[in-house]
Amino acid sequence: MLSDTETKLLGVMMMVIMLGMGASLTFKDFAIALRKPAGVGIGLVTTYVLTPMVGYALATGLGLPPAYAVGLILMACLPGGTTSNIFNYFSKGVLSLSILMTIVSTMFAVLLVPLALGIFSAGIEGEWKIPPGNVAQVLVVLLVPTVIGMLLRKWNANVGAVIEMIGGLLGIVVILFLVISWVPRNINLLATTPANVYIAAIGLGLVGFMVGYGFARLVRQDPRRSRTIALETGIQNGPLGVLIVLLTFEGTRQQEVLLIPVLYSLFIVLTSSVVTVWFRRISQREEAARDNAKIGALARA
Amino acid sequence: MDAPSPYALRPWMAQYGAHIAHTLAPPPHANLAAMADAAVQRFALQTAFTTVMPNGMYGSLSYAQVGEMSNAFAVYLREVLKLQAGDRVALQMPNCLAYPVALLGVLKAGCVAVNTNPLYTPAEMAHQFNDSGAKVVVVVDLFADKLEQALPRTGVKHVVLTRVSEFFPAVVGPIVRAVMKHWNKLIPKHGLSFTALPDALVQGRALDTPSASQAGRYARDVGHDTLALLQYTGGTTGVAKGAMLTHGNLLWNLSQMRAMSASHIEDGREVVLTALPLYHVFAFTVNFLCMFNAGARNILVPNPRPIQNLQRAFENYPITWVTGVNTLYNALLGEEWFTAFPPKHLKAAGGGGAAMHHAVVERFEAVTKAPLVEGYGLTESSPVVCFQPLNSQRQRDSIGIPAPMTDVRLVDDNGADVPVGQPGELLARGPQVMKGYWQRPEDTAQVLKDGWLLTGDVALMDEHGTFRIVDRKKDMILVSGFNVYPNEIEDVLSRHPKVLEAAVVGMPDAKTGEAVHAHVVKRDQSLTSEELLAHCRTLLTGYKLPARVVFRDELPKTAVGKILRRELRPAGTSAVNPAAATANPHNNSAR
Repeated sequence: MLSDTETKLLGVMMMVIMLGMGASLTFKDFAIALRKPAGVGIGLVTTYVLTPMVGYALATGLGLPPAYAVGLILMACLPGGTTSNIFNYFSKGVLSLSILMTIVSTMFAVLLVPLALGIFSAGIEGEWKIPPGNVAQVLVVLLVPTVIGMLLRKWNANVGAVIEMIGGLLGIVVILFLVISWVPRNINLLATTPANVYIAAIGLGLVGFMVGYGFARLVRQDPRRSRTIALETGIQNGPLGVLIVLLTFEGTRQQEVLLIPVLYSLFIVLTSSVVTVWFRRISQREEAARDNAKIGALARA
Repeated sequence: MDAPSPYALRPWMAQYGAHIAHTLAPPPHANLAAMADAAVQRFALQTAFTTVMPNGMYGSLSYAQVGEMSNAFAVYLREVLKLQAGDRVALQMPNCLAYPVALLGVLKAGCVAVNTNPLYTPAEMAHQFNDSGAKVVVVVDLFADKLEQALPRTGVKHVVLTRVSEFFPAVVGPIVRAVMKHWNKLIPKHGLSFTALPDALVQGRALDTPSASQAGRYARDVGHDTLALLQYTGGTTGVAKGAMLTHGNLLWNLSQMRAMSASHIEDGREVVLTALPLYHVFAFTVNFLCMFNAGARNILVPNPRPIQNLQRAFENYPITWVTGVNTLYNALLGEEWFTAFPPKHLKAAGGGGAAMHHAVVERFEAVTKAPLVEGYGLTESSPVVCFQPLNSQRQRDSIGIPAPMTDVRLVDDNGADVPVGQPGELLARGPQVMKGYWQRPEDTAQVLKDGWLLTGDVALMDEHGTFRIVDRKKDMILVSGFNVYPNEIEDVLSRHPKVLEAAVVGMPDAKTGEAVHAHVVKRDQSLTSEELLAHCRTLLTGYKLPARVVFRDELPKTAVGKILRRELRPAGTSAVNPAAATANPHNNSAR
């Protein structure tokens, strides 16, 4: 478990991350996002229907005890963070689509996260339940730095851009922070953790990628957009999940529930890096093929 | 007795009305350095230039800073590098804060600037530096490796290195640079020996006397007839030639441009978006010289491609003026952030470089509620020859009317004036027409005759003096003896909603001599050639119809986004039209 100081530090970092997220947005972006019903629909379905279902299915299928199940379902119900935008940038995805999906999932988070969480954790015993009101509260509190970030960007573009960058990088820093401070102290716990917990923590991301890709292809998105949607679906806002657990549970209970959000956060960095490299190769291959086609067309002309 | 020429009467002057001065006094400043100093004095504390990166990070220079830094650079060139008046200095960079500092420094030193496309290959660089005799190159670090390859083949003695993030604020500059270097991997390794621009300024300042800057001295003898700029043109058709533009040419053209748009430019109040490169003559004169003289704030975008790179610039600054080419406006209109939230403060937009397409102008004006006026010019004329007037009389589908103090006439193959309404080659005369091509008297003699510049463009004039470009003389397609002008066909093709852009070229054809080939980029992948031809049939007579439609992912373009028709023809067939064999300026790159 984490000390009080660490919890506070994490809270502050989360604030900065959301500040950065806000700095990446303008009020116009929201207006534009709402004009694109298809993008909005895809964003909402993947974030608040498909991933929660994946989380629920994994928790049930693997027979996870309630402490772990609630952590997994919580992770599954959260929106994507700015980290997914960074991975999409590296993978040569459609950045505007990635940002659009982040905007949409954030915009509706206050309403839809508690709702999805309420539905998918309905079968979990009372003492392990995360009160949806708590989650809503955390999200509302996090809206404050988001709006401040948006205002800062409006006030000065340089300040906005720097904060945006720091916020994006801090998403990864937080995970490193967890690795350094949490993993060594919990080696014993990690060693005795049953395999199905690992499978669940890693599987949420991997199955998320696959389901996201499959859904995107189903609704007729081209392969490059589908890869973007896949990454966006699989990558959840890990630090946010950790923070909610810290604010909801105490003592050993906290430690148990925290396990999956932390493991998810650790492994998602690895899995998305691998997937990003793979996607990047595919994108480059496609670009090269297009270039070749052009040269061919010139030769034929 | 011959009827008087319809052009001698300057029928277009009736359209000047009260908006445009009928005659212009000679420019008040002795040279461009004096013009710049006057603007620096007058607008000292106002922001002169802001470079905006795609993520919104920016750096700015005030008029006073540009003045001080360019003085220091002039002193550096003269005292440290020991350049003499008239020596050539090549500038090779995208739009960035270093450009105005370096350019004005060169002019204040009494030297000649050589605008150089930074995307040139080492071979093209070597040609341009040798031809111009450049002794110093100011180059952006992005292309230092290519310069290194070219350098041994040239007489260049010194390299001054700059960067896109030059003069950015303390925290932001290093971030921009780190992102370009480590993330985008844009900054190559190189072994050049160089002086960094900020170091050059430090050295210049150390040798300057702050009370009475030496920089004022160097340009004392520089007058209107002194060479200011070698602007290369025609690089892709044959050997690139340097158009010799004098201080007088450029000062005149900036006041002509100002006169044409006087009703829409307020001193010290404009914010102009410069997405076209400043090394190109259109942005150089219109965006830089004219707007600097007017105390405008220039928003510089280093790279307008992809077009999303302009989003932050449009969002963060109250843009009042923008210039661009057809492809740029077309791309903007494809962006939701632009069409959903068009710039609120936009007063006017200028288009040139290549013919604006009707559909693009109409849509742009509907979206922004600001006029998009088209102009016409050439590198050889500094560049502005004609512009649509910014008043109610403007004809949208034209290049407008000649600027004040400019004469235009249209002639047939024998050099005789053609009647009103008949196509003829456009000839222009005015104080903005170049002295000639640098060290190429024969090429000069072919395009400058009795003070007239032969443009190689075929145009029409109506009875009100409004001109329309029909096409490049050499791009004309001869189908079974009929003249087909690619512009007309391209305009029809691009009016189809599923077409993003189109280019038309003539190809040798056994039956018809030449045949119309259309190269089309789809907006909507469902477009078929049958569909497109059916659309053409409703608007074009038979011989004008494309004999073949080729769908492409993109069209070859120049640095400013002008479509390169000649690259759509296989090598060796570009001169199939014998009428085009006359050696006119190869490339009206300013149009």
